[in-house]
Amino acid sequence: MAERVFSVLGLFETPDALLAAVPRLKAKALGRLEAYTPYPVHGLEEAMGLRRSPLGGMVMVMGVLGTLTALLFQYWMNAVDYPLVTGGKDPSSWQAFVPIMFEVTVLFATFTAGLGMLLLLNKLPAFWHPFLDSEASKVATRDRFALAVEAEAGLLDAAAVSAALKAAGAASVETIPEPASARLVSINALLGLAAAGAAACVLAGAFMYWGIKLFPTLPPMSHMLAQPRLDAQMPSRFFRDSRGMRTPAEGAVARGGLPYPFDKDDQARGLANPLPRTEEVLRLGKKVFSNNCLICHGPLADGNPILTAAYGGKPANLQSKKFLDYPEGEIYHTIMRGKNAMPRLGDGFTEDERWAVIHYLRALQRAQHAKDSDL
Amino acid sequence: MISLMTVLGGLAAAGTFFAIGPERFWANWLVWSLMLLSVGLGALFLVALEHLCDARWSVPLRRTAERVSGLLVPACAALATALFSLKVLYPWARPEAAHIPAIAGKAAWLNIPFFSVRVLACVALWLLSWRVLAGSSAEQDLSCDAALSVRMRRFAPFFMAVMGLTTLVVSFDWVSSLEPEWYSDVMGVYLFAGSFLAGLAAVALAVCHLKGRGRLAELRFDHVYSLGGWLFAFTVFWSYIAFAQYMLMWYADLPEEVFWYAHRGHGAWRWVSLALAVTHFVIPFFALVPRDAKGDLDRLRWVAVLVLGAHFLDLYWLVFPVLGERPLFSWPELGFAAFFIGAALLWVRRSMKQGADMPVGDPFLEEGLAFKL
Repeated sequence: MAERVFSVLGLFETPDALLAAVPRLKAKALGRLEAYTPYPVHGLEEAMGLRRSPLGGMVMVMGVLGTLTALLFQYWMNAVDYPLVTGGKDPSSWQAFVPIMFEVTVLFATFTAGLGMLLLLNKLPAFWHPFLDSEASKVATRDRFALAVEAEAGLLDAAAVSAALKAAGAASVETIPEPASARLVSINALLGLAAAGAAACVLAGAFMYWGIKLFPTLPPMSHMLAQPRLDAQMPSRFFRDSRGMRTPAEGAVARGGLPYPFDKDDQARGLANPLPRTEEVLRLGKKVFSNNCLICHGPLADGNPILTAAYGGKPANLQSKKFLDYPEGEIYHTIMRGKNAMPRLGDGFTEDERWAVIHYLRALQRAQHAKDSDL
Repeated sequence: MISLMTVLGGLAAAGTFFAIGPERFWANWLVWSLMLLSVGLGALFLVALEHLCDARWSVPLRRTAERVSGLLVPACAALATALFSLKVLYPWARPEAAHIPAIAGKAAWLNIPFFSVRVLACVALWLLSWRVLAGSSAEQDLSCDAALSVRMRRFAPFFMAVMGLTTLVVSFDWVSSLEPEWYSDVMGVYLFAGSFLAGLAAVALAVCHLKGRGRLAELRFDHVYSLGGWLFAFTVFWSYIAFAQYMLMWYADLPEEVFWYAHRGHGAWRWVSLALAVTHFVIPFFALVPRDAKGDLDRLRWVAVLVLGAHFLDLYWLVFPVLGERPLFSWPELGFAAFFIGAALLWVRRSMKQGADMPVGDPFLEEGLAFKL
């Protein structure tokens, strides 16, 4: 069986010769026409009767979509999800959204135009196109103008097309055979792709390293570290005693805190736990206990934890009879003022956290001394 | 018909001076002087751009643009006359300005003698440019001398500098200094954008009119499309500049800047500002965005009229807020519109009757007519 023909192709010397040949071959209706030119030739679209490109409509739709995306996204972020007042402006100020809306519109529109033209409408890149194997492809990207008649449904009268192209003024005619089989992706291409991916990863990594580790240490970025504020524990020449950190003024109370008036634990005996015993409160208590108490008193609050040997101290066994009967007010006092080797920890907690951890301790004690009725 | 409109409008305009007062008269006069100026300068810019870029597509259109740019002559006369408005409209020209530090500090620039010198220098430069660019072209019709093309091409870069600097001066002097405490660096670019847009719209309107009368028959879709493309592009450019100026001032919120916008953003002026955004950007943008629309004469005709109207609204929005809290629009404004539109139409129509419709002596006319998209 003779090899099947993909297309027959004529080369023309000038764009005008190509334009003149198009209607003559179109009239003969031998096959589908395709032109290859080194640059856009004016009037070729009309001569070949190409359909009007739908790209404009696509770009319009995507552009409007970009505008709306940016508008809704910014509105949701700035006005709904996380409203921050910047520069005294209403977080939903439309004026601040406009530049981003403009940018995203342009982004969506240009990507649609570029990628839609290349990938979707022209189905490029087509590295395996039979035309690329032809002799004509070497000059049709330079200074010759090629007109191809492609086989429709595998049928093409190569001799007739050849004659018609010559009659229409083609300087030379070439027959492009149908490729033997659809070429699969070669192993070389895959290896190349993998290598390119690896190189891209290394490059991106190097760039990230530079961006995160080195770039911030260079001026002017490093100037951001030089600030007139005082860091913790730093000396200050401003104060006479040259300490940067100041003790609060007499009678000062931390924001959200209340002064604790008692010095002796029996004074605090009467304090009652203001929190209800809910699951939420117990969860908070467990968190506070695990993060602060557990290391010395142990997970079961029996004074038998991991740290005891290294620490050498002897933390209280909170499951002992003494502490089972301990008034909650005195536990509170212990948290606030410390006891024996236990330091005062209360300043690090909120009022709710202190009382929640007491609830949790009570739950631990109850769990270790459960009665039959609890089952 | 047009003559009658002009005469009646002129009477109403003159009546404004005596019946209502010089403030309203001069505000209208200033708006319409700037209107004529911006249309004339914009059209001349299109002519100079062709020479500068060695463009071919616009050669068949150039005579129309040159004829529209003839409006520079009445515009210069009107603007020179507007020098009488200084003491009426401009706070810095009044004696009490010396006691306001924000204005007194600008006295080196804003004083009547220097202001007048600048105005007359601008007028001289515009008339010279018009004489060289439009005059040489008309001369070439008869002589077919290619040396004239060279002369216009050599002059074009000089005109670009003239256009840029004089627009800047006009924006500072005639527009910004109405409220002399206020300043905006981008005002010159803003006026240039509006001016070129108005010039393009006027040329497009003239082309549509001539085509409708069967003149400019060799002008094809491709030429009209390119003109429509310019109109579309500068609709977006004007909006970009206008919004950029607004957004920076809105963001910074400095009292000495933002009062200008605060005035235009409250009460009835708010609706004028909104109308400006809609007529100057939204409608023309969507009307011209489809591919065929840019070359469609019917579409282009009403868009051009709309853009010219929007440009008037723009100038009105720049000038009229100094007259008060409420936008004034009544018979004086209609009278001024009738007078100046009528006079401009008569002026352009007179030039339409002289000479050829295309630069027949231009060596590139044939190439220009063969232009394909």
